Amino acid sequence: MQLHQSQAADDLLDMVRLNEGIKKVVIIAFHINLMALNAILLANRAGRTALGFGVISKELRVLAVDLTHLMHDLKADAYESVNLITVLLRQERRKILLESARQSLSQHQDALVAVIETQQNEQTSQRQRISQLRVKLLEKLDDARRICQFGIAISRSAKIEAAYGAGYSMQLSDVSSDFDQNIHAILPALDLLCQNLKDH
Amino acid sequence: MKQAQVIFQEGDLSWTMIARDPAKHGYVIDTNEYVITYGGESILTDPGGSEIFPAVFSAICTVIDPLSIKSLFASHQDPDIISSLGLWLDFNPSLRCYTSRLWTSFIPHFGGDDETLIGIPDEGMPISLGEHRLDAIPAHFLHSSGNMQLYDGTAKILFSGDVGAALLPDDANEVFVKDFDRHIDYARGFHQRWMGSTEAKLDWCQRVSSMNIDMLCPQHGAIYQGADVMRFINWFAELPVGLMTFRK
Ligand SMILES: [Fe+2]
Ligand SMILES: [Fe+2]
Repeated sequence: MQLHQSQAADDLLDMVRLNEGIKKVVIIAFHINLMALNAILLANRAGRTALGFGVISKELRVLAVDLTHLMHDLKADAYESVNLITVLLRQERRKILLESARQSLSQHQDALVAVIETQQNEQTSQRQRISQLRVKLLEKLDDARRICQFGIAISRSAKIEAAYGAGYSMQLSDVSSDFDQNIHAILPALDLLCQNLKDH
Repeated sequence: MKQAQVIFQEGDLSWTMIARDPAKHGYVIDTNEYVITYGGESILTDPGGSEIFPAVFSAICTVIDPLSIKSLFASHQDPDIISSLGLWLDFNPSLRCYTSRLWTSFIPHFGGDDETLIGIPDEGMPISLGEHRLDAIPAHFLHSSGNMQLYDGTAKILFSGDVGAALLPDDANEVFVKDFDRHIDYARGFHQRWMGSTEAKLDWCQRVSSMNIDMLCPQHGAIYQGADVMRFINWFAELPVGLMTFRK
């Protein structure tokens, strides 16, 4: 029997990719958090000249924590999506088998027609639930992108602040370019995830 | 589609065998399902795997109204026995499934829940089909550790699950065993490998040899009838099984 691979099977793959993407972002956010912690200590040591740098580092730490929370949320949604999708896959598979049973019947067709119709309706609402969750996922990914864009902006300010670091200037500017690199690495990862989800 | 063939009919009581699907893919093992009907109610033994559900269901519809099936009997937990449970429940959510108590929490992986599954105690139990009485009788470790067979004292039929099973080639797919000696060659390997316990085997042989059985109906292969029933029991009692058959 030919069992066609459905949209739901593709959706499941999307969720797998999303999870992989989330892992990447969480690792980067973890690095940013550590880096920011070190930067705060460094700014304290540098004293008055690095006050601004210290404030920015604190902001970056908050940002890293927010991003991590958001990723955990996304992970939970992705998990829920996987549940919904696997139920749909099972429903679709059963429907194919029931449909094939119905087609080979010469008697008692009605018995299956009603079942198949109910299943059709269940599948439709299941598909709706899945696409609603997908919209929710995309919104959260957008939130994450906004956080990152804010991060990019303040890491730029960190670079400027580093210049006022007097004796610590070199060290501070090293830290600020690390920030910059990391925060820039997140954005393409998020873009890719958004793109994947939007494509379907 | 599978073929439905009435193998016993007396008054309100009938046994119908569902077997031999010429369109079945070679990669799924061929199975026999039996529908026992009394009055307006039916019970289906070892309903089979989900892949063959369309073939089984449509064959059943040629002989009875599928809604008359009130319960399923699963001799054990194998996928070729009961992986179609979810589909059966889609069709009729109020179906009940009798199986060894060992498997009531395993089989829901195929569908159903604690309401669907009725655990049969180790010593077996009567199962009523309307006014008619069937008996679930134990055949543990043959091959499953929680294994049940279904006996109909009126029809003198024992549904024996995997015991008596034979893996028949396409050119020897008769419904009743015709030539015991030829047939049993197709059963030997299966019993030696699947039925690993000599103790369980001898215990079963002793018990069923004292029962009044006219037909021994396995889940795979052909039905043993009349003198072939005792011939099979004697053959099985003497068959070396399990690990000893591995040693060269
Ligand atoms: Fe089995
Ligand atoms: Fe079997």
